Amino acid sequence: MRPALEARCRGSGGAAPMRPFAGPFGSERADVSALFPDRGAPISACARERRGTVGDVASAKQAPRRRKDETSTATPTGAGRRPDRGESAPRGKRPRAPVFSGYTPLEGTYDELFADTGRARSGIGPVVRGIDAIGEQELRLRQRLADGAFLQSGITFRVYGDRRGTEKIFPFDVIPRIVGAKEWQVLERGLEQRVRALNLFLADVYGDERVFRARNAPVAEDIVKGSTGYLSAMKGVRPPGPRGADPVYVHVAGIDLVRGPTGDFLVLEDNLRTPSGVSYVLENRLVMKRVFPNLFTKVRVRNVDAYPQKLRDGLRSLAGGDGTLAVLTPGHYNSAYFEHSFLARRMGSMLVQGSDLFVHDDRVYVKTTKGPRRIDVLYRRIDDDFLDPTVFRADSLLGVPGVVRAYAKGNVVLANGLGNGCADDKAVYPFVPELIRYYLGEDPILGQVETYHCSRSDHLSHVLANLEHMVVKEVDASGGYGMLFGPRSTKKERAEFATQLREKPRSYVAQPVVELSTCPTLTKKGIAPRRVDLRPYVVTGKSTWVLPGGLSRVALKEGSYVVNSSQGGGSKDTWVLASDDSVGAAGAVDAAGSIGAPGAVDAAGSVDADGGVGRSSEEVGR
Amino acid sequence: MISRVAGCCFWMHRYVERVENLARLLRVNRSFLLDVPEGVADRWFPLIIVTGEEPRFTELCLAGGFDPPRKKRASVPPRPLADLRDDGEVVEAYLTWDERSPVSLLTSLRWARENARTTREVISLEMWETLNDLWVDLGSAKARRRYASDRDLFYKRLRDGCDLFLGLSEQTLLDEEPLDFMRLGMWLERASQTARMLDVKHHTLGPSRPDHESPVELAQWSALLYSCSASEAYYKRVPSSPDGRSIAAFLLQDPALPRSVLGCLLRARSTLERIRQEGRPDLGDEPAAMLDGLLERLRARDIDAIFGESIHAELTHVIDTTTAICGAIDRAYFDPGDQSALLAS
Repeated sequence: MRPALEARCRGSGGAAPMRPFAGPFGSERADVSALFPDRGAPISACARERRGTVGDVASAKQAPRRRKDETSTATPTGAGRRPDRGESAPRGKRPRAPVFSGYTPLEGTYDELFADTGRARSGIGPVVRGIDAIGEQELRLRQRLADGAFLQSGITFRVYGDRRGTEKIFPFDVIPRIVGAKEWQVLERGLEQRVRALNLFLADVYGDERVFRARNAPVAEDIVKGSTGYLSAMKGVRPPGPRGADPVYVHVAGIDLVRGPTGDFLVLEDNLRTPSGVSYVLENRLVMKRVFPNLFTKVRVRNVDAYPQKLRDGLRSLAGGDGTLAVLTPGHYNSAYFEHSFLARRMGSMLVQGSDLFVHDDRVYVKTTKGPRRIDVLYRRIDDDFLDPTVFRADSLLGVPGVVRAYAKGNVVLANGLGNGCADDKAVYPFVPELIRYYLGEDPILGQVETYHCSRSDHLSHVLANLEHMVVKEVDASGGYGMLFGPRSTKKERAEFATQLREKPRSYVAQPVVELSTCPTLTKKGIAPRRVDLRPYVVTGKSTWVLPGGLSRVALKEGSYVVNSSQGGGSKDTWVLASDDSVGAAGAVDAAGSIGAPGAVDAAGSVDADGGVGRSSEEVGR
Repeated sequence: MISRVAGCCFWMHRYVERVENLARLLRVNRSFLLDVPEGVADRWFPLIIVTGEEPRFTELCLAGGFDPPRKKRASVPPRPLADLRDDGEVVEAYLTWDERSPVSLLTSLRWARENARTTREVISLEMWETLNDLWVDLGSAKARRRYASDRDLFYKRLRDGCDLFLGLSEQTLLDEEPLDFMRLGMWLERASQTARMLDVKHHTLGPSRPDHESPVELAQWSALLYSCSASEAYYKRVPSSPDGRSIAAFLLQDPALPRSVLGCLLRARSTLERIRQEGRPDLGDEPAAMLDGLLERLRARDIDAIFGESIHAELTHVIDTTTAICGAIDRAYFDPGDQSALLAS
């Protein structure tokens, strides 16, 4: 008998090579993540050839041709200006049509880059003009380069329900979303304040419960304890950390923000359990730097690279022992696996699965080829429910039996803490501004979206009467599932939801539709406004740090409000400027020039070989 | 390193090595058959046998698994087994593209990449990109066209990609434990694959008779040499005209030949020793003892005594024992169960 070739994927287990994916993963589920290369990865040979082409096009650079029937408001700067050939060509077919020449923001909606057609928002004008100068055709080329770079480096996410393990790239749009420096400062303070209050709230809920006994209690006990994220087993358990300091529950927060028509940032949702997507922020930036190298040398965009180090240092600052850190992943079938792997690599930590760990004498160890090794911090990307089969779901194969006891004994830091789900619950969300006032004695810096809680009968009747104008969300759903988007719903859908609301009012909240802000986005038909949101990341160890940037998700379908990647969303790089109104040191650029009009290129200097702004590197700073 | 991850490293290299070997074998078999008159030998089925796929392949044949999709009216009778077995297109497609086969190039490469994806934090960027490129390429229409129009080049590309990957792992990784487990997997897989290749002869033309060697047999021995990239080395080693016995001895026992069974096992043994020295030597006692036993037996074998009938049995023993060694390594390093006992000691 001929011996068969053994075939197996992993070292463990016999017949079943993989552990099955055991269940839905809360906030992980909707999001995507990717495998990321280390910095400075080469673009593919194909891409390099392309770049050659880019150079060729650029070396034959021409001044934009001015249409005869058009008068531009741009003032030629003289220097470096090339003679106008005076040829007329149909709009859009000119090789150097400015990027934003056909762009008009949506009526009644805040646009991230434009105050009005052809007029950039204050503070970010020079940067927008720099992008404008690249030209639409060139921009499309860069878009293809970016897509190729993502695919080549395997930055993909796995599509659930596809047995062949199809991987896709998360659609990416090369036009960045830009946030001015002053605006960001406000945001940063607001986020820090919110996370601080939510941490205190969690410590209170699992501690003395002062909040429920207070006069004019900011939130009712039954709402908090009725949330599925509340874990009674965590009552009285203090997360490990330095003595005397406030305990940390929310080590990593991803706070979803949107902007309404007024332009104010509003909190849409708190993600305090396992927020994902940060690897995209870093990877998008890497790809952008590859694709627009020259733009980056001239625009002061704040760096996002520090995230893994900040996270590692923050987590280790809370741990005892050697501070040995491991990232705990559900496994490589999880859609966010690439992110887990990415973070482990960038933090220089181990990447472990539940089966790699065991608990002995209330201490956590990893099985290694040289015997057991102690773990002091677990950055776990597994939901509470699956973390410890001896305490929560007994059928979980992903967790570590005994890890909760080790945590309760203070022998291992778990990030994020256990039981955070009661603070980012959609039912608790409406009360967060009150919680901020209660715990900090401060007014909330960030606003949030008006929310109706259907368990209140007056709210419920209001919601039912105005379903067409409401977004109704199931309290325990995420990723754009279990949602009714009023203005786009059919009569039948509304009727179904109305029945649901009456039957299980506690399970639903409703919000008036927010006219999400838009950002110019490259579409097949040209540059068009598409709606965006923003997820900044807040890291808390001994102190709190806000990543200067975040994941901007964009609804790529025309008119769509849903930015979730599972439903036709994509992402953009988020540029937080180091200072307003600056293109690097080249402050001499005429900020009054209009954008999108022929001649605008000259206002920002000629376009160089990489499509960046500026005359040439030597001239920057004059 | 983490036990599971060590296992992934080991298996990643095994799968890549497997792809490399199967691509070699498929490529050489085609050219070998050009020298063989039809009807003289089983032409393709031996490849199915040595990869251990005989039961599955036969079952699929009988179940009509290789029939073209049936049109509604024309009821084509299923092709007989004998016909399918000898159809190079069917066998090659099965061993190259078929997802039903756990050893096809496509399946092996998928698992290799899957293991790499799981250990991205251990392997280098260059290794990952090479393997990912290879996988993306295999799934592309371009690769299908290459397969249709220039199959030789198709297999060569695969081999080249695998060799690049294996070379990159030596060049880009720290010379430490993870790399040692990768090497260990590679050497053991290669030893077993060379043994399987040698066995192709047995299944194609039957047992050799030491006294009489037909030209076809000699052609096949030469083809086997070629598939192990060992032709030129052989001519250096053996100055007389080639014959089956010395070729078999060379591929089986020459310690200097990088693909010989003995050479691979020797390198596996020293890699295992390094792993034991770096960590807890006691953990690897069992696989080390098994490897020593196999090496001793192989060294002691006189080729004159086994050439002919018993070489097939000898090769089968090598393959079975290698599998058992891998099992012992798995128990020792990759799937250690509860390690609490080690804490107490």
